[in-house]
Amino acid sequence: MSSQTQVEETLDLSKFFDNLWVTIVWDDPVNLMNYVTYVFIKLFSFSKEKAHKLMMQVHTEGKAVVASGSREEMERVVQQLHEHGLWATLQRDDHGRS
Amino acid sequence: MADPKSAEITITLSNDELHILINLVEQLLELLGEANFTHHYQSNDPFAQLMFAAMGNIQSPVEQPQDPVLRRLLPNAYADAESSAEFRKYTEMSLRTTKQKYLFHLRQQLLPAVEKELVKADIQVSDPTAWVIAINDLRLALAVRLDIEQSTYEKYELMKNSDPQKPLFAIYFWLGGLQERLITHF
Repeated sequence: MSSQTQVEETLDLSKFFDNLWVTIVWDDPVNLMNYVTYVFIKLFSFSKEKAHKLMMQVHTEGKAVVASGSREEMERVVQQLHEHGLWATLQRDDHGRS
Repeated sequence: MADPKSAEITITLSNDELHILINLVEQLLELLGEANFTHHYQSNDPFAQLMFAAMGNIQSPVEQPQDPVLRRLLPNAYADAESSAEFRKYTEMSLRTTKQKYLFHLRQQLLPAVEKELVKADIQVSDPTAWVIAINDLRLALAVRLDIEQSTYEKYELMKNSDPQKPLFAIYFWLGGLQERLITHF
Protein backbone atom coordinates (compact mmCIF):
# COMPACT_ATOMS: atom_id res chain seq x y z
CA MET A 1 0.00 0.00 0.00
CA SER A 2 1.26 3.44 -0.74
CA SER A 3 0.96 6.43 1.47
CA GLN A 4 0.17 9.64 -0.38
CA THR A 5 1.43 11.77 2.52
CA GLN A 6 4.79 10.11 2.36
CA VAL A 7 5.02 10.67 -1.40
CA GLU A 8 4.27 14.36 -1.01
CA GLU A 9 6.99 14.69 1.59
CA THR A 10 9.66 12.96 -0.42
CA LEU A 11 8.92 13.91 -4.03
CA ASP A 12 10.45 17.24 -4.92
CA LEU A 13 9.04 17.90 -8.39
CA SER A 14 11.41 20.69 -9.35
CA LYS A 15 14.36 18.47 -8.49
CA PHE A 16 12.81 15.66 -10.53
CA PHE A 17 12.41 17.85 -13.61
CA ASP A 18 15.86 19.36 -13.22
CA ASN A 19 17.26 15.89 -13.69
CA LEU A 20 15.20 15.17 -16.78
CA TRP A 21 16.94 15.68 -20.11
CA VAL A 22 15.82 15.03 -23.66
CA THR A 23 17.53 14.12 -26.90
CA ILE A 24 16.32 15.96 -29.99
CA VAL A 25 16.94 14.85 -33.58
CA TRP A 26 16.90 17.69 -36.13
CA ASP A 27 15.83 17.47 -39.76
CA ASP A 28 18.44 17.68 -42.49
CA PRO A 29 18.09 17.35 -46.26
CA VAL A 30 20.63 14.52 -46.60
CA ASN A 31 19.72 11.58 -44.38
CA LEU A 32 17.31 9.26 -46.17
CA MET A 33 13.95 8.63 -44.51
CA ASN A 34 14.53 4.86 -44.53
CA TYR A 35 17.94 5.35 -42.96
CA VAL A 36 16.63 7.53 -40.11
CA THR A 37 13.88 4.97 -39.40
CA TYR A 38 16.49 2.19 -39.43
CA VAL A 39 18.71 4.07 -36.96
CA PHE A 40 15.78 4.64 -34.57
CA ILE A 41 14.92 0.93 -34.64
CA LYS A 42 18.56 -0.07 -34.17
CA LEU A 43 19.37 2.31 -31.29
CA PHE A 44 16.06 2.42 -29.42
CA SER A 45 14.50 -0.96 -30.34
CA PHE A 46 11.36 0.93 -31.45
CA SER A 47 8.70 -0.87 -33.46
CA LYS A 48 8.80 -0.09 -37.17
CA GLU A 49 5.60 1.96 -36.76
CA LYS A 50 6.93 4.06 -33.89
CA ALA A 51 10.29 4.64 -35.61
CA HIS A 52 8.51 5.68 -38.81
CA LYS A 53 6.21 8.06 -36.94
CA LEU A 54 9.15 9.75 -35.19
CA MET A 55 11.08 9.99 -38.45
CA MET A 56 8.06 11.68 -40.06
CA GLN A 57 7.85 14.09 -37.12
CA VAL A 58 11.50 15.06 -37.66
CA HIS A 59 10.85 15.45 -41.38
CA THR A 60 7.64 17.53 -41.16
CA GLU A 61 8.16 19.49 -37.94
CA GLY A 62 11.93 19.93 -38.24
CA LYS A 63 12.72 18.07 -35.02
CA ALA A 64 11.52 15.42 -32.58
CA VAL A 65 12.31 14.28 -29.06
CA VAL A 66 13.54 10.70 -29.43
CA ALA A 67 14.66 9.90 -25.88
CA SER A 68 14.55 11.22 -22.33
CA GLY A 69 16.42 10.42 -19.16
CA SER A 70 19.41 11.55 -17.14
CA ARG A 71 21.96 13.89 -18.64
CA GLU A 72 24.54 11.10 -18.80
CA GLU A 73 22.12 8.80 -20.59
CA MET A 74 21.21 11.50 -23.10
CA GLU A 75 24.89 12.28 -23.77
CA ARG A 76 25.39 8.63 -24.61
CA VAL A 77 22.36 8.65 -26.93
CA VAL A 78 23.54 11.82 -28.70
CA GLN A 79 26.97 10.28 -29.19
CA GLN A 80 25.41 7.17 -30.77
CA LEU A 81 23.21 9.29 -33.05
CA HIS A 82 26.28 11.27 -34.14
CA GLU A 83 28.08 8.00 -34.86
CA HIS A 84 25.22 7.23 -37.25
CA GLY A 85 25.38 10.66 -38.86
CA LEU A 86 22.14 12.02 -37.43
CA TRP A 87 22.07 15.60 -36.23
CA ALA A 88 21.16 15.43 -32.53
CA THR A 89 21.43 17.60 -29.43
CA LEU A 90 20.46 17.21 -25.80
CA GLN A 91 18.85 19.74 -23.50
CA ARG A 92 17.03 20.01 -20.22
CA ASP A 93 13.41 18.96 -20.57
CA ASP A 94 11.44 22.19 -20.25
CA HIS A 95 8.14 20.65 -21.28
CA GLY A 96 5.24 22.56 -19.76
CA ARG A 97 7.45 25.03 -17.96
CA SER A 98 8.33 27.55 -20.62
CA MET B 1 12.99 -21.52 -48.37
CA ALA B 2 16.09 -19.60 -47.57
CA ASP B 3 16.42 -18.07 -44.16
CA PRO B 4 16.33 -14.30 -44.79
CA LYS B 5 18.80 -13.74 -41.95
CA SER B 6 21.40 -15.90 -43.61
CA ALA B 7 20.90 -14.27 -47.00
CA GLU B 8 24.07 -12.51 -47.99
CA ILE B 9 24.04 -9.15 -49.65
CA THR B 10 26.00 -8.86 -52.85
CA ILE B 11 26.71 -5.44 -54.28
CA THR B 12 27.84 -5.26 -57.90
CA LEU B 13 30.07 -2.32 -58.70
CA SER B 14 31.65 -1.30 -61.97
CA ASN B 15 35.31 -0.42 -62.10
CA ASP B 16 34.44 3.30 -62.21
CA GLU B 17 32.10 2.96 -59.25
CA LEU B 18 34.74 1.09 -57.26
CA HIS B 19 37.29 3.82 -57.88
CA ILE B 20 34.86 6.60 -57.05
CA LEU B 21 33.82 4.90 -53.83
CA ILE B 22 37.34 4.11 -52.63
CA ASN B 23 38.49 7.64 -53.49
CA LEU B 24 35.72 9.17 -51.44
CA VAL B 25 36.39 6.78 -48.55
CA GLU B 26 40.09 7.59 -48.53
CA GLN B 27 39.50 11.32 -48.70
CA LEU B 28 37.06 11.24 -45.82
CA LEU B 29 39.44 9.06 -43.80
CA GLU B 30 42.12 11.64 -44.47
CA LEU B 31 39.87 14.43 -43.34
CA LEU B 32 39.00 12.53 -40.15
CA GLY B 33 42.69 12.29 -39.38
CA GLU B 34 43.88 8.96 -40.65
CA ALA B 35 46.82 8.86 -43.04
CA ASN B 36 48.41 5.45 -42.56
CA PHE B 37 47.65 3.91 -45.91
CA THR B 38 48.58 4.26 -49.56
CA HIS B 39 46.28 6.27 -51.72
CA HIS B 40 44.71 4.91 -54.85
CA TYR B 41 44.12 8.46 -55.84
CA GLN B 42 45.83 9.18 -59.15
CA SER B 43 46.81 12.81 -59.51
CA ASN B 44 46.69 12.67 -63.32
CA ASP B 45 43.09 11.56 -63.33
CA PRO B 46 40.92 14.68 -63.77
CA PHE B 47 37.90 12.95 -62.32
CA ALA B 48 39.75 12.00 -59.18
CA GLN B 49 41.05 15.55 -58.97
CA LEU B 50 37.49 16.81 -59.09
CA MET B 51 36.49 14.58 -56.19
CA PHE B 52 39.66 15.48 -54.38
CA ALA B 53 38.78 19.15 -54.67
CA ALA B 54 35.29 18.46 -53.41
CA MET B 55 36.27 16.44 -50.37
CA GLY B 56 38.84 18.83 -48.98
CA ASN B 57 42.46 19.61 -49.05
CA ILE B 58 44.53 16.54 -48.23
CA GLN B 59 47.55 18.68 -47.32
CA SER B 60 45.75 20.61 -44.64
CA PRO B 61 46.34 19.76 -41.00
CA VAL B 62 44.03 17.29 -39.35
CA GLU B 63 43.05 19.73 -36.65
CA GLN B 64 40.48 21.63 -38.64
CA PRO B 65 37.37 21.94 -36.57
CA GLN B 66 36.47 24.88 -38.80
CA ASP B 67 35.99 22.60 -41.78
CA PRO B 68 32.24 22.55 -42.51
CA VAL B 69 32.33 18.81 -43.32
CA LEU B 70 33.83 18.05 -39.91
CA ARG B 71 31.34 20.38 -38.29
CA ARG B 72 28.54 18.28 -39.81
CA LEU B 73 30.11 14.89 -39.05
CA LEU B 74 31.18 15.89 -35.52
CA PRO B 75 28.37 18.26 -34.56
CA ASN B 76 27.79 20.13 -31.33
CA ALA B 77 25.84 18.15 -28.75
CA TYR B 78 24.41 21.21 -27.00
CA ALA B 79 22.92 24.51 -28.11
CA ASP B 80 25.40 26.41 -25.95
CA ALA B 81 29.06 26.57 -26.86
CA GLU B 82 30.44 25.92 -23.40
CA SER B 83 28.63 22.62 -22.79
CA SER B 84 29.38 21.56 -26.36
CA ALA B 85 33.10 22.19 -25.93
CA GLU B 86 33.16 20.25 -22.69
CA PHE B 87 31.32 17.31 -24.31
CA ARG B 88 33.59 17.43 -27.36
CA LYS B 89 36.69 17.29 -25.20
CA TYR B 90 35.73 13.84 -23.97
CA THR B 91 33.91 12.39 -26.95
CA GLU B 92 35.20 13.76 -30.25
CA MET B 93 38.15 11.41 -30.50
CA SER B 94 35.98 8.35 -30.03
CA LEU B 95 33.45 9.70 -32.54
CA ARG B 96 36.21 10.17 -35.11
CA THR B 97 37.53 6.68 -34.40
CA THR B 98 34.11 5.09 -34.82
CA LYS B 99 33.58 6.82 -38.15
CA GLN B 100 37.07 5.78 -39.30
CA LYS B 101 36.33 2.19 -38.30
CA TYR B 102 33.27 2.00 -40.58
CA LEU B 103 35.10 3.71 -43.45
CA PHE B 104 38.08 1.38 -43.03
CA HIS B 105 35.79 -1.62 -43.14
CA LEU B 106 34.25 -0.40 -46.39
CA ARG B 107 37.72 0.26 -47.78
CA GLN B 108 38.90 -3.24 -46.85
CA GLN B 109 35.91 -4.71 -48.66
CA LEU B 110 36.57 -2.69 -51.81
CA LEU B 111 40.33 -3.01 -51.95
CA PRO B 112 40.68 -6.58 -53.33
CA ALA B 113 38.38 -5.74 -56.25
CA VAL B 114 40.20 -2.45 -56.88
CA GLU B 115 43.54 -4.23 -56.98
CA LYS B 116 42.29 -6.86 -59.42
CA GLU B 117 41.18 -4.08 -61.79
CA LEU B 118 37.99 -5.98 -62.57
CA VAL B 119 35.54 -4.51 -65.06
CA LYS B 120 32.76 -5.43 -62.69
CA ALA B 121 33.01 -6.74 -59.14
CA ASP B 122 30.51 -8.67 -57.04
CA ILE B 123 31.26 -7.80 -53.44
CA GLN B 124 29.85 -9.87 -50.60
CA VAL B 125 28.88 -7.32 -47.97
CA SER B 126 30.15 -8.78 -44.70
CA ASP B 127 28.88 -6.00 -42.44
CA PRO B 128 25.95 -4.13 -44.03
CA THR B 129 25.64 -1.84 -41.00
CA ALA B 130 29.20 -0.58 -41.46
CA TRP B 131 28.54 -0.02 -45.17
CA VAL B 132 25.34 1.91 -44.59
CA ILE B 133 26.87 4.15 -41.91
CA ALA B 134 30.06 4.78 -43.92
CA ILE B 135 28.08 5.59 -47.07
CA ASN B 136 25.88 7.92 -45.04
CA ASP B 137 28.95 9.81 -43.85
CA LEU B 138 30.19 10.08 -47.44
CA ARG B 139 26.82 11.52 -48.47
CA LEU B 140 26.88 13.99 -45.56
CA ALA B 141 30.38 15.12 -46.53
CA LEU B 142 29.51 15.54 -50.21
CA ALA B 143 26.28 17.33 -49.30
CA VAL B 144 28.20 19.95 -47.34
CA ARG B 145 30.58 20.56 -50.25
CA LEU B 146 27.75 20.67 -52.77
CA ASP B 147 25.43 22.72 -50.56
CA ILE B 148 22.65 20.16 -50.88
CA GLU B 149 19.12 21.31 -50.01
CA GLN B 150 15.69 19.68 -50.00
CA SER B 151 15.02 20.60 -53.63
CA THR B 152 18.45 19.75 -54.99
CA TYR B 153 17.33 16.88 -57.21
CA GLU B 154 15.15 19.21 -59.28
CA LYS B 155 18.12 21.56 -59.67
CA TYR B 156 20.35 18.64 -60.63
CA GLU B 157 17.98 17.64 -63.41
CA LEU B 158 18.12 21.16 -64.79
CA MET B 159 21.93 21.33 -64.67
CA LYS B 160 23.80 21.35 -67.95
CA ASN B 161 25.94 18.29 -68.64
CA SER B 162 28.90 20.61 -69.08
CA ASP B 163 28.56 21.86 -65.50
CA PRO B 164 31.76 20.71 -63.77
CA GLN B 165 29.84 19.97 -60.57
CA LYS B 166 27.26 17.75 -62.25
CA PRO B 167 29.29 14.50 -61.88
CA LEU B 168 29.61 15.11 -58.14
CA PHE B 169 25.86 15.54 -57.83
CA ALA B 170 25.45 12.32 -59.80
CA ILE B 171 27.78 10.54 -57.36
CA TYR B 172 25.82 11.95 -54.42
CA PHE B 173 22.53 10.57 -55.75
CA TRP B 174 24.17 7.29 -56.75
CA LEU B 175 25.41 6.87 -53.15
CA GLY B 176 21.86 7.45 -51.94
CA GLY B 177 20.64 4.67 -54.23
CA LEU B 178 23.35 2.33 -52.98
CA GLN B 179 22.41 3.12 -49.39
CA GLU B 180 18.72 2.47 -50.10
CA ARG B 181 19.58 -0.88 -51.67
CA LEU B 182 21.50 -1.93 -48.55
CA ILE B 183 18.80 -0.73 -46.14
CA THR B 184 16.10 -2.79 -47.88
CA HIS B 185 18.07 -5.89 -46.84
CA PHE B 186 17.75 -5.13 -43.13
